[in-house]
Amino acid sequence: MSKQAKAVAGGDHFTRWLVIGMVVLVVVTGVIFSVISSSTKANESFAALKGYSLGQPVATTIDSAPGSGLVLNPGAPVKIDIWEDPQCPVCRTFETSVGAYVEDLVRAKKATVVFHVLSFLGPESIRSANALMCSADESQYLDFHKAMYVIQPALENSGFYSNANLIKIGDYIGLKSKRFTDCVTSGAKLDLVKTHADSMSIYKVTGTPTVFINGNLWQRKANGFDLNEFRSAVEAG
Amino acid sequence: MKRFNSRYQKSITFIGRLILGATLIAAGGLKAFVPAEAASAVAAYKILPLQMAHVVGYALPWLEMAIGLLLIIGISIRMASVVAGGIMVIFIGAIISVWARGLLIDCGCFGGGGAIDPSKAAAVHRTYAVEITRDLGLLLVALYLYFFPHGIFSVEKSAHNNEEL
Repeated sequence: MSKQAKAVAGGDHFTRWLVIGMVVLVVVTGVIFSVISSSTKANESFAALKGYSLGQPVATTIDSAPGSGLVLNPGAPVKIDIWEDPQCPVCRTFETSVGAYVEDLVRAKKATVVFHVLSFLGPESIRSANALMCSADESQYLDFHKAMYVIQPALENSGFYSNANLIKIGDYIGLKSKRFTDCVTSGAKLDLVKTHADSMSIYKVTGTPTVFINGNLWQRKANGFDLNEFRSAVEAG
Repeated sequence: MKRFNSRYQKSITFIGRLILGATLIAAGGLKAFVPAEAASAVAAYKILPLQMAHVVGYALPWLEMAIGLLLIIGISIRMASVVAGGIMVIFIGAIISVWARGLLIDCGCFGGGGAIDPSKAAAVHRTYAVEITRDLGLLLVALYLYFFPHGIFSVEKSAHNNEEL
């Protein structure tokens, strides 16, 4: 092999490592950028809760007999069962479309609403479900539930739903009692969370959000969630 | 066939680089700036443990863009085509695995991603088949580039012809 050929071969070797190095650099920089930007975005979402004021407390009872729902406003002519996972993005869409209407039904005592808090999307769903049930003890389920979906991050199980951040949500909306924070921190409702999760099979619920109106599965026709469609389904009973 | 290839190989290589490179850059670029979506798209495949899936979701778009760029400007084409081919093999395997396990997801190939409504099962399965075919095609392009890396409009100049490699 001539001297020149050797030099070329050595040069190729150098180029290859240089290229590999550059690619690695790009990827590492990209990952760091991505991690920082998505966690900043999640934390900035708290800003959306500024100026939030708690609504009137609504007593919430635990219906232990048929599958342990959280019952709001029992005894109304229409009964709506809502099955949700706190981290489920489609539940957020559902909440955005019909959440205000459901809240209205409860506050105006027009319907009994039973929330089944599911937690199949991982550890952060379990933690969030626990916190939701703690808020029910404080009679502020509606508010905490709403706030939780307002700030739901795009990424599931990203570390956002820590107990500290769950307490922070409460803090922002004015749910600050020691009983609430203790309940979140100690995971006081974890057994109940499990009971809710287990009740899925009893009702043959396989996904979220699932809605029953007077015990009948609501089958929507629109692609998304249409408030008018939902309203007429509820009014038809 | 052989004569055809030796005659047009340099142009075919160039076109192959453009197709594979542009696809990778488009796929990467659409995902790189919506990192949370990309990470949850990878998690939706339920193959990797969660934390790892998130890291892959963050890293993959940048890797795709880097490799795509190398292919288009023509640097280390052989190495880039090996990586691109490897990525395609992984994508194909991942979609087959999702299909076999009966999961209904959006591949998130060009952004988006995540679980899909069960009512759309038939459409989703059709999409899986299309995606696998597309990735197989791109894998073939990557293989061609591996065997015939030298073409026109490339920064990298070969000291020798392809035949001698």
